[in-house]
Amino acid sequence: MNRSKDLDNIAPDDEIVVSAPIKESPKETSPKKSESSDKKSNFSQTIYDILGHTKSPFSAFLIRPKILTFAERDENEEIYLAVRPHWINNLSWIIVSILMLFIPLFFKYITFLNFFPTQYQFAAVLFWYLITFIYVFEKFLSWYFNLFLVTNERVIDIDFNNLLNKHFAEADLSMIQDVSSSVRGVFGTFFNFGDVLIQTASEINQINFEKVPNPEKIIKLLKELRDLEEEKNNGGNNNE
Amino acid sequence: MNNFLTFNGLESYFFGITQIFFIACSFLYFIFALIVVKQVTSMSKSVIDKFNVVLILFSFIHLGFSILLILTMFGL
Repeated sequence: MNRSKDLDNIAPDDEIVVSAPIKESPKETSPKKSESSDKKSNFSQTIYDILGHTKSPFSAFLIRPKILTFAERDENEEIYLAVRPHWINNLSWIIVSILMLFIPLFFKYITFLNFFPTQYQFAAVLFWYLITFIYVFEKFLSWYFNLFLVTNERVIDIDFNNLLNKHFAEADLSMIQDVSSSVRGVFGTFFNFGDVLIQTASEINQINFEKVPNPEKIIKLLKELRDLEEEKNNGGNNNE
Repeated sequence: MNNFLTFNGLESYFFGITQIFFIACSFLYFIFALIVVKQVTSMSKSVIDKFNVVLILFSFIHLGFSILLILTMFGL
């Protein structure tokens, strides 16, 4: 007979019913959840153990980049590794562009050019430096936007050839069949860069990471990811 | 060569043709600079990174210089 719970409105003959305070249960942490978060942190540690750390955004070997992303990225997709060709591959065009910078200094030794008025010579020099700039810029862009990505879902190859052609290739981690690497030549051995060839069971038969630094680390990472993927699949099959 | 052109009165023709050639080249270069701006913008949309803004800025500076080139060619 609990007619009223408010003490101010209780009649003398009312029976006072004090309901026991509801105990706030501490946030329930299901063992499954904590187990999965443990697994995740363990895996993160494994990645750091394999790959180490990088800070410079211009590095050719970016580990878990925070800002870098791409248009085709899924919502929950996490980038573990972003790789560009080793910087030493840029050496040839850097040398050429330095030479190009000094070429106008030799214009005065070409007697034919002295025939032109100063304005023409200035225009020619301006034109030359613009060509030099665009040569450097185009080469840099080709290097900067030529990315190989390893995420928690797939491996991706993004290429821009001559500024006009975009090439995008991807393969799911579960589709990876074989991974091989080759380090060639004096520079490759000295600076530790080479090709990583990933053969897949998807439509694109193979993805080639060209002239990337630390190919052995990439192979290790891919192996870990494949093992994890297999574990997931086995776990899923067992649960069924 | 200078003496030859002056002697025959061909100097003005020669420089006129050279100027037209330079203007045509600078216009082509301007179109190329526009393509570069478009490409850098689309690249930056495809791969998003910290320095994309700087790269877009560079492409616009390059476009500005290509306009300067055209103006210089007209001023010859």
